[in-house]
Amino acid sequence: MKRALAGLACLLAATAWAEDFKFDAAEFDKQPFEFGGYLELKTDRSWLRRDGSFYKLNGLARDTLDRNTATLKLNAKYTQGIASLKLSAAAEQRRDQLISERSSRFDEAYVSFKPDPGLTVDIGKQALKWGKGYAWNPVGFVERMKDPNDVELAREGYTMLAADFIRNFADDGGDLKTVAFTPVLLPVGAQTNQDFGQPNHLNVAAKLYLLYRDTDIDFTWLGQGSRGSRFGIDFSRNLSSALEIHGEWARLQDVEQRRIDAAGNISSEVGDATSYLLGLRYLTENDTTWIAEYYRNGSGYTESQLTDFHRVVDSGNPALLARARQISPAYGRANAGERYLYLRASQKEPFDIVYFTPSITLIGNLADRSYSLSPELLYTGVTNLDLRLRATWLHGGEHSEFGEKQNARKLELMARYYF
Amino acid sequence: MKKLIALLFCLLAFPALALDGAAILKKVDRNLEPESYEMLRKLINIEPDGKKKEFVLYSVKKGRDKIVALFLAPQSDKGRATLRLGDNMWLYIPEVGKPMRITSLQSVTGGVFNNADILRIDYTAEYDVENATEEKDRYLLTLKAKTGEVAYDKLKMWVDKKTTLPTDIECYAASGMLIKTLRFKDTKDFGGGIRRPATIETDSPLYKDYKSVMLYANIKKRDFPDEVFSLNYLPRVEDLRK
Repeated sequence: MKRALAGLACLLAATAWAEDFKFDAAEFDKQPFEFGGYLELKTDRSWLRRDGSFYKLNGLARDTLDRNTATLKLNAKYTQGIASLKLSAAAEQRRDQLISERSSRFDEAYVSFKPDPGLTVDIGKQALKWGKGYAWNPVGFVERMKDPNDVELAREGYTMLAADFIRNFADDGGDLKTVAFTPVLLPVGAQTNQDFGQPNHLNVAAKLYLLYRDTDIDFTWLGQGSRGSRFGIDFSRNLSSALEIHGEWARLQDVEQRRIDAAGNISSEVGDATSYLLGLRYLTENDTTWIAEYYRNGSGYTESQLTDFHRVVDSGNPALLARARQISPAYGRANAGERYLYLRASQKEPFDIVYFTPSITLIGNLADRSYSLSPELLYTGVTNLDLRLRATWLHGGEHSEFGEKQNARKLELMARYYF
Repeated sequence: MKKLIALLFCLLAFPALALDGAAILKKVDRNLEPESYEMLRKLINIEPDGKKKEFVLYSVKKGRDKIVALFLAPQSDKGRATLRLGDNMWLYIPEVGKPMRITSLQSVTGGVFNNADILRIDYTAEYDVENATEEKDRYLLTLKAKTGEVAYDKLKMWVDKKTTLPTDIECYAASGMLIKTLRFKDTKDFGGGIRRPATIETDSPLYKDYKSVMLYANIKKRDFPDEVFSLNYLPRVEDLRK
């Protein structure tokens, strides 16, 4: 009897094992309408820095700030013949001890026509992303700025007409494998793309991509219009199965920089700027991925210019404080300085815990030696659920970039469920 | 004179008796997949406690060294696409919005399979046959990577004599360390003259008690324009599905 039961148990186990390996491909037949997205819940606590310039400018009167954020992201695509409609929308609700606010927007909403694999025409709002840099993209001329603290954060696109011409020569055996050309028309008016720059311009931009001798090379260009004209080049190449290098270089003309001097005088200067970035990604034998980037922001503030701004805030003079507040978005933007280092180390699945990725990220201002340091734990072991715990320390001396931020520390827990 | 004739006979006979490893490997490539095809694959990562995570990929390949794979499931990975052109590999993540270069030793799915396994191109494109021997009912091919950019420096491939399909492959690092073992199972007729293993199981001394399985379905011969295998096309791979 015991043997019979054991035999039955073995048989059942074997059946279950066999069932586990079933693959019903019909479940994945293509549908004309596709829908998906995620719901993200985030809770964070910030420990505020009472002597920080941005604490004073924001008029806070507390030591900590607790915030809860709920984000709903929806993606939909409908395909009919050579045309497809793509929508990507986000709605967010934020609440902390000071404010409760909600926002919603379409990140993308465009129609795509693909008459041929080598030609695509897109009309509508879309987020083009140019450049090879992980944390910064000086050649990203037609996109909103990336947040180096969260590089995968969805960014709102611009309304445009764009095309993509692709030619592949991989079978020819030559050094040039692929050529792709992406022209872009981006209008700016009273109701369209207002934050891109000066209104009443039809901006023309283009990107030429080459895969030449196993190296990705892009030439990018934006004509004079709502912004000054600019051009750039980027590259990316694998040097071995574990090492990739990349870089970007951009020349920007007629860039306006608004400044405040130590006496509180606001001025504006227009000039040309050169920005560039050099970086690498390296995978060690122990499965640690290192990403390192050096970024030179040609339109950033020098150390003394940043110091002047913080001195004005420190003066305590209400009139000067009001002027500093007026210009603070420029000084308070992410990476407003000139020279930065980005360093990230992530360890894949340590201690044999699969889908677990601890990492640590350093973003440092090389001029004033201030930095932010963010250790992070990411777990993706539950299907369609990402769990992330992240802490951030901001450190720097008086009048330094990260030493004058509103936060001294931050702890954040995020859960994202995909559907 | 007799001795000379015997020696000449041996010299003439020897090449005919020697195994042509390169020809066997070429045949293995074509028996596994047509040169240009599309297919669906399910990857299952199995943890020591039996917990599983599954990924479904739609893949298209052209020629010896061009392949694209699009994630259809789970939802958290849907829309991700990977491209391989020879030694070059890229990953496109919809949220990031642009392709970035990846390396063959990384893994876009986690678990035992790495990018080189998921975006496998013809063995003849990456390896030279260093040695070929015969066992009872199998050939044993020892393969050496053509360049340092190939994920595994050396492979030991056991090939079934009757079907000229691999049964087991051991993958070694340049240091000689065994990285993983692939086991080919469940040979099945996919139609269109394609008969090959429908299951590949793998385990690794580096991931003790973990196992990954790759299941194949809907393998069909299909030709694609070259433009499909380019960075700019990666966000649109879904449009290839019928």
